[in-house]
Amino acid sequence: MEHAQEIINSTQEIFSSMIMLDVTPGEPFIRNNDKLINSISGIVGLAGATKGMLAIHMTNAAALAVTTAFLGMDVEEIDDDVRDAIGELANMLAGSIKSILDPSGSDIKLSMPSAIYGEDYSVDCLAGAEAVTVPFAFDGLGFVVELQLRKDS
Amino acid sequence: MGKTVLIVDDSNTMRKIVSRALRQAGIDFSTILEAGDGQEALDVLSANDVDVILSDINMPNMNGLEFLKAKSEIAAIKDIPVVMISTETGADIIDEAKSYGAKGAIKKPFTPELINETLGALL
Repeated sequence: MEHAQEIINSTQEIFSSMIMLDVTPGEPFIRNNDKLINSISGIVGLAGATKGMLAIHMTNAAALAVTTAFLGMDVEEIDDDVRDAIGELANMLAGSIKSILDPSGSDIKLSMPSAIYGEDYSVDCLAGAEAVTVPFAFDGLGFVVELQLRKDS
Repeated sequence: MGKTVLIVDDSNTMRKIVSRALRQAGIDFSTILEAGDGQEALDVLSANDVDVILSDINMPNMNGLEFLKAKSEIAAIKDIPVVMISTETGADIIDEAKSYGAKGAIKKPFTPELINETLGALL
């Protein structure tokens, strides 16, 4: 699937250098509109010549582990620190993908990162977009990174 | 005597990460100040002596480029060196930042070694 390898490279670099976590990629897939349960999603929109979104979806347990490692302090509930950390992860991933898709930096604009969370929610696909989702595992936990792109001609 | 650095980023998490990286980089900063956007940074600069600034680009209220432009118009602070630290490091946006006086750019994700290398030349 297109861009799966870029997602893998960017995710492994960010987790390795910023969080000191080695994450193992799985087989890329298309997520469709599957519901997310007890999870948190960091999302960054892409606008301009190429539209779409970059999202990282984590179970609450994975998000707590990642934020604890990210900040170097114990985090026990989904609070502002967790939402901010997961949003910032999405931001770094989107920036990394953008630098590949748009080396000059002028054709694609990134939105501010946002984070949504809850017991049962969905993140819909962009109409007409090509999508790829890559699962990652670490320490018995997991998360997925999803990229949706639609190039307007 | 240690230096004073100002970290400008709307993400509280990223300000903590940059602070940690500065300590790991081994640069002798006696004071680390923080601001959540460009306007807050101008307020901090009006009340503190700062040796170097690390600023994000993509921020609400006043973004990093708007901050650079505003800072360049204030005589008392215009010469304080600024390094952009951002996910946005495309050539066009960095050229624009440098046209407003930025001295360099660090791409997120970053390492303490890269911060040391970049800031070491400015201090």
